[in-house]
Amino acid sequence: MLRVEKLESGYGPMQVLWGPDIEVKAGTITSLLGPNGAGKSTLLWTILGSVKTRQGRVLYKEEDVTHMQPHRKVDLGLAMVPEGKHLFKEMTVYENLVMGAYRRDAMARKEENLEMVYSMFPILAERQKQVAGSLSGGQQQMVTIGRALMTNPTLIMMDEPSQGLAPKLVMEIFETIEKMKREVGLTILLVEQNAAASLDAADYVYVMHEGSIKAEGTPEKIKASDDIKEAYLGL
Amino acid sequence: MRRAQRYYPIIPVLVAYAMLLGYGLLFPGKWQLVAQLAFYCTLGQAFNLFMGMTGYVDFGYVAFIGIGTYGMAISIYYLYDKGLGLFIVVIGFILAAIFSTLLSLAVGAVALRLRGAYFAIATIGVNEGFRYLIEGARIWNGADGIIFSLHLKKAVGRETMMVLSTFWADVLVFTVAIAAAVLTLVFMRNKVGYALMALRMDEDAAKVMGINVTKYKIIAFITSATLAGLLGAAAWALKLTYIYPVDAFAIHYTVEAIIIVLLGGAGTLMGPIVGGLIYGVAKYFLAIVLPGFQLLIFAPIIITIIVIFPEGTVGILKKRVMGTALQKYII
Repeated sequence: MLRVEKLESGYGPMQVLWGPDIEVKAGTITSLLGPNGAGKSTLLWTILGSVKTRQGRVLYKEEDVTHMQPHRKVDLGLAMVPEGKHLFKEMTVYENLVMGAYRRDAMARKEENLEMVYSMFPILAERQKQVAGSLSGGQQQMVTIGRALMTNPTLIMMDEPSQGLAPKLVMEIFETIEKMKREVGLTILLVEQNAAASLDAADYVYVMHEGSIKAEGTPEKIKASDDIKEAYLGL
Repeated sequence: MRRAQRYYPIIPVLVAYAMLLGYGLLFPGKWQLVAQLAFYCTLGQAFNLFMGMTGYVDFGYVAFIGIGTYGMAISIYYLYDKGLGLFIVVIGFILAAIFSTLLSLAVGAVALRLRGAYFAIATIGVNEGFRYLIEGARIWNGADGIIFSLHLKKAVGRETMMVLSTFWADVLVFTVAIAAAVLTLVFMRNKVGYALMALRMDEDAAKVMGINVTKYKIIAFITSATLAGLLGAAAWALKLTYIYPVDAFAIHYTVEAIIIVLLGGAGTLMGPIVGGLIYGVAKYFLAIVLPGFQLLIFAPIIITIIVIFPEGTVGILKKRVMGTALQKYII
């Protein structure tokens, strides 16, 4: 579904990505692990096109989308849940979700997608008239995920969705992610610092450090390797 | 019917401008005050289209008014003997629009890549830089400016010129104000407005929603700048019939624009009118009571207002009328 080949990018004189290769297979959860500053978020923003690619390619659904503008990629079904709760704080929950259906194709499927989001997060249906900024942290995260689902995606990139949440909520978020794969049939590229939970949810794992991929494999393989766990994951 | 209702908020705007214009027509002695107030309202209305809707503060805004003024000045100065009559004024407005659009494209293409405070800092230099360019390279007579009253007189005749600069210039300012208000409402009621609202609240989130944030920022920036150019052509060029770079690029007009928008309520439709009237009237009376101290008195008032009422007069009003019959009219 998504293939990243020798991708290089960065900010000004500082290069962050040093040619990681990644493949995300359709209908799977692919997890990207690694310490702070490894370049995980930059990789996602580069795939989306918000950070410019300097070298390498991004292939999405067999198509070269390396230099495609972000909004065109959203049209192709590439969604992203950015790190931190990027909400439209002064809008209501409902308005936030509808903003997700901004593009024409997504707007055409607004009602069904809204229903799906409400069935996945019943609390959002109850709170739909509430201003998003007044929700709890966990609920705000649900809105950002719900809003990404409203863009009518096939692949959804999530950047630290469990960040700053209480342990119980972290579990709920991971359950939701698995549900999105199982019930909605989405492909997920998940960036996480919570290595333990992420290894449990993932089908395939990449370990990133200093802008390149240091290890990859099935979660079982990563879990079995003490070197990887010790060197990069702090487990 | 429902479609028409979405545009009801333009009614109080039109009523407000009609009342202001009517006051000036009924009391000719107050025409200068009315013209001044109309200038401030228009300045706010045009500036709000960018600042209010995107949340970006452009400290170089006066440059667009200045370049528009030059557009009109150049048309009259160079074309007065071509026998075009009043048509040179039309050409002046077209030039003003073209100049300000081009300048805003150039500035926008560079500065709109920056966000928030960085954008504000980048734009501070624009008008100063542009002024020094005109003075230093002696473009359009450099620091000597363009004095074109004689040219205008020769082109359209003495009588017409008098009416043009003492009456029609101000009426044209009103026209620019109404154009700015209508455009603001059209933006608000269409996709462009939702895009701008989203990017004002959270630009990263807007981007991942598939909103082409750069495109919409540039649309708002250029529209706002072009209106500024037309304002300059009417309120400065036609009214004064001279232009010096020192006046055309004076940064305090940008500061006044920011004050007006914040006083009235950034991103609201009525805000710039309310802000422009409050600011204009206050400045008028302060100039009588305590001449020379206006800015000294304004500074603490503005800080207080921004701290206590960040949403501005109309912002507060909007909340108060929520759920009442007035809701349809005030945004």
